[in-house]
Amino acid sequence: MKSVNLFGAGIVLAVSLAALMPAMAQEWPDRPITLIAPAGAGGGTDATARLLALGLEQQLGQPVNVVNQGQGGGVVGFTSITTAEPDGYTLGVIYNFAHYSPMGQGDFDAADMTPIGQFNFDPAGFHVRTESEWANITEALDAIKADPGAYDIACGGGCGGSWPLAFASLLDAYDVDLSQVRMISGQGAAAALQEMVAGGFDVVPSSVPEAGSLIESGLVRGLAVFGSERLEAFPDIPTLEEETGMVLELGAWRGLVGPAGLPEEVTAKLAAALEAVYNDPEFQSAMTDRGFGLRWRDAADFGTFMAEEETSVRELVRVLGL
Amino acid sequence: MEIIGQAFLQLLTPQVMLIMLGASAYGLAMGAIPGLSASMAVALVIPIAFFLDPVPALAGVVTLAAMAIFAGDLPGALLRIPGTPASAAYVDDSYLMVRKGQGGLALGLCVICSAIGGVVGALVLMGAAPAIARIALQFSSYEKFWLACLGLTAAVAVSGGKWYKGGISLMLGLAIAQVGLDPVSGQLRLTFGNGNLVGGLAFIPVLIGMFAIPEVLRYALAPREIAPPPIQALGNLLSGVGSTLRRLKGDVVQGSVVGVVIGAIPGAGADIAAYISYAISKRFSKVGDQYGKGVPDALVAATTSNNAAVGGAMIPATVFGIPGDSLTAIIIGVFFLKGLNPGPTIFIENALLINTVFMAFLIANILMVPLGLLATSAFQRMIRVPRYMLMPAVLAFCIIGAFAVENTHFAVVTMLILGLVAFVMEKYQYPLAPAILGLVLGPMLEETFLNSLIRARGDVFAFVERPLSMGLAALTLVICVTPVVMFIWGKARGARTA
Repeated sequence: MKSVNLFGAGIVLAVSLAALMPAMAQEWPDRPITLIAPAGAGGGTDATARLLALGLEQQLGQPVNVVNQGQGGGVVGFTSITTAEPDGYTLGVIYNFAHYSPMGQGDFDAADMTPIGQFNFDPAGFHVRTESEWANITEALDAIKADPGAYDIACGGGCGGSWPLAFASLLDAYDVDLSQVRMISGQGAAAALQEMVAGGFDVVPSSVPEAGSLIESGLVRGLAVFGSERLEAFPDIPTLEEETGMVLELGAWRGLVGPAGLPEEVTAKLAAALEAVYNDPEFQSAMTDRGFGLRWRDAADFGTFMAEEETSVRELVRVLGL
Repeated sequence: MEIIGQAFLQLLTPQVMLIMLGASAYGLAMGAIPGLSASMAVALVIPIAFFLDPVPALAGVVTLAAMAIFAGDLPGALLRIPGTPASAAYVDDSYLMVRKGQGGLALGLCVICSAIGGVVGALVLMGAAPAIARIALQFSSYEKFWLACLGLTAAVAVSGGKWYKGGISLMLGLAIAQVGLDPVSGQLRLTFGNGNLVGGLAFIPVLIGMFAIPEVLRYALAPREIAPPPIQALGNLLSGVGSTLRRLKGDVVQGSVVGVVIGAIPGAGADIAAYISYAISKRFSKVGDQYGKGVPDALVAATTSNNAAVGGAMIPATVFGIPGDSLTAIIIGVFFLKGLNPGPTIFIENALLINTVFMAFLIANILMVPLGLLATSAFQRMIRVPRYMLMPAVLAFCIIGAFAVENTHFAVVTMLILGLVAFVMEKYQYPLAPAILGLVLGPMLEETFLNSLIRARGDVFAFVERPLSMGLAALTLVICVTPVVMFIWGKARGARTA
């Protein structure tokens, strides 16, 4: 009996020592990781976060739990990510965020995050009603340039979101007077597309798959996709470059980040795990089946990209008067 | 017809049947736990659905959704915590019936009416989805504005007591709905510089807090054991249901029609459908003045309606890829994942698979009767638990539920504070249901009104220019003006005869 007691005491001692040891001394990760999605359950960011969590779990050998914090259009989730302890146990799947701070909605920027990698990019599409008088994007852009205040343009969700800002960047590049353009917010791209079919809007910028069913039913036309090449699922929609000669890549992106100041060894391990997940054919087919585009940027490129986007978005928000 | 038979055969494999049963059990449990919504239940199984074949995955998901929506009625009736916003319209009626010892009838009606509503929704979905979807698509922000106004008139029905107290309660709900980012300009309102309020007051914590916390507080202030109402045997759950439904068959039809139609309009949904059905039912009922005090008549239309709306919401989602609410959005996500891309050609290109999914939804709604009754007989044991044990447990559930749904500590604070507000309101006989109605309709009313005005460049006549919006406007006006005219006419007649 005595030996059993000693053995028990040994275990108790070992466990309490382990608990006392600082987390850093052990190999990260030794407990479950929280992955914050600054979006409600069921949306695109949630779906990609869950796919990513599944892959990271296999790579890191620890459960990765997706936590949805979509309140305030994502502001609450972003705040949680940027203010979390930088120990590698709280990470976030993020998307175009640069408008929150200049619009006074949130208090965080690229410097508050440690970039790990970008895994998704969806180009914006330019959608109009089938009966629209515009046959192609050049006609549409010329018409808007001639009388910027005459058309109702849907923002989808809030007017600082990925799609309206992609659209505004295009107009800006086309020298349209942005201060006159009428952009109207709403409850997301699907609702805006429905409203457009009902006669409400003239243009809805959104991802092309979101409008896919309406394009297929002949109620909506896609005039252009704002990417470098045509989408495999929508080969009839030309790119912006083909139609106008402008080389622009505009749309929504998603990437993995941690709070600023993540230890280097954690970042390195995470970056390797993320790259392995990204290159896994199963992850790739799951993303494409769901209509999400694939795009890889490693930690350094992703960081540069976020900083550049921050600068351009701040300028756009100012000009648009958002 | 042949394809319906083939679709049915697709479901008759042991794997699919087992998954549907498992999804039912999981859906019933998730729906019955306050704070765990149907949307969350479906989102959590997406990684599992990923590894399944299309038929079992999709059949499981639609089964899960149907069961979870129904199960939201259970905590409402037993603990006065509506499991979903859609159950809030009639929570007082079902809760008071349980307290009066009519629990069997109340829960039996919830099960049977939910199943009827669900079956009607599924049949309409299978038979007429493309046609209805085209109509639903024509609702612009003008029509939706009038629809929200029409919903507001339901406040009168759910008020009871003094009309001005109902009005104040409604205004409180609308005010709470304004907290946070303005839906049109993105400006911050009523946040007082507090970052937690940017996202507004979360709906589910407010709902749980306002209904459940006053019950807990009242008990805490005057602890008094009441004789627990009797438990009904499984067979007895149905006694009285048949005769009640025969008596109220008009309400069943009304609930089904209103549910499918309102559900099919993107942006409306099960909660608004339930309120409108409740209001119509009360208007035409002989015992209208008893609504809100625990009469079976109050339950039938509304509980039928919120389940019919689930099928209704699937209509524009499958035909045009436009989900009516968050639950449908998640279900459509699983459709995409399984290569069943929504679109008008879905009924031609993927006819077998889509009909199989609809068939599974239909069967799920029929399965709801036996499984729902089993779940009911299990859950109703909760009311036998002595109140000194039950009430702390309810409080714990509220806290866990509020946190689970929002993942923030602030949600718990919201829940507790609104609970206190509701306690004071009820102490002075202010009804809660209009406040919840204001909370449901506030964002829709504000957004459709402002966006319509911006689009019309400030021209208010644009609100009645389209035929559909003019019709809805006229209906709203008639409902608002008729009682006033009747009142004046009655006064005038009274004066003449005197």
